[in-house]
Amino acid sequence: MNLVKIDSKNIYYPPGGILMWIILFLELLTFGMALVAMVIYSKDEPEVFHSSRLLLNSTFGLVNTIFLLTSGFFMVKSVESFKVNNIKKSSLYLKLTMLGGFLFLLLKSFEYFEKIEAGLSIGYNTFFSFYWMLTLFHVIHVLVGLVILSSVYFSLNKKNMDLAVEDFEASATFWHMCDLIWLLLFPIIYLIF
Amino acid sequence: MKNQIYFKVLLSLLALTILAAFVAKFGFDLKATAAIILALFMVKFLGVAFYFMQLKKAHFFWKSAVLIFVSIFLAIVFVSV
Repeated sequence: MNLVKIDSKNIYYPPGGILMWIILFLELLTFGMALVAMVIYSKDEPEVFHSSRLLLNSTFGLVNTIFLLTSGFFMVKSVESFKVNNIKKSSLYLKLTMLGGFLFLLLKSFEYFEKIEAGLSIGYNTFFSFYWMLTLFHVIHVLVGLVILSSVYFSLNKKNMDLAVEDFEASATFWHMCDLIWLLLFPIIYLIF
Repeated sequence: MKNQIYFKVLLSLLALTILAAFVAKFGFDLKATAAIILALFMVKFLGVAFYFMQLKKAHFFWKSAVLIFVSIFLAIVFVSV
């Protein structure tokens, strides 16, 4: 394993890498601006937004938040184990991290199925247009995150493992970014209107 | 010790999430409810960024960039809601 001491206090080396943080800020700005637009649109149709919000199952949103936060915790543990060269533990925690992501997607699919069955599709009203666009865009991020984590998992379990700490940390940062985006979406879409 | 900190952070994040859902369900004043939910969101967001993403070990620039982003976002949402 390639263990190089990185000085995270250096402005050019934030944990996870500077490119990952630039992507993270771009993503946060994109989702942030869309959510601000959603809140501004809600001023024109407060009743529509309130009644539509009540059609969402906030328990699903709550459970999905718990899945992603717990998954993020296991991601931290996986990186920590990797840093002390405990590959077996790191691999186990990584599996638990991915399990959190799969459970999130499973529940989200069930939620989407329910909405489609009830006829609450993307064109139903302004609230549901935002709901579908924002949550589906986030789901794409989770899917990409799972692909990245799967690739890390296979690298980790190779006979001649040559995974670098920086690559592992960058993947972890991407996964935590999915957490952060969900933390932006959950209160605004599911709770405040 | 480090593991305990992460576990405590996770428990706090879960507790704050449940609290936010509880406030949304039983809050009666829209503005006050929104203020509490957004404040809880900010704590959770910073908890994930500073602990899980190790931002507390990063350069001041990255810490302040995240703080500025989340503050501006919250201010705009709170004023608009």
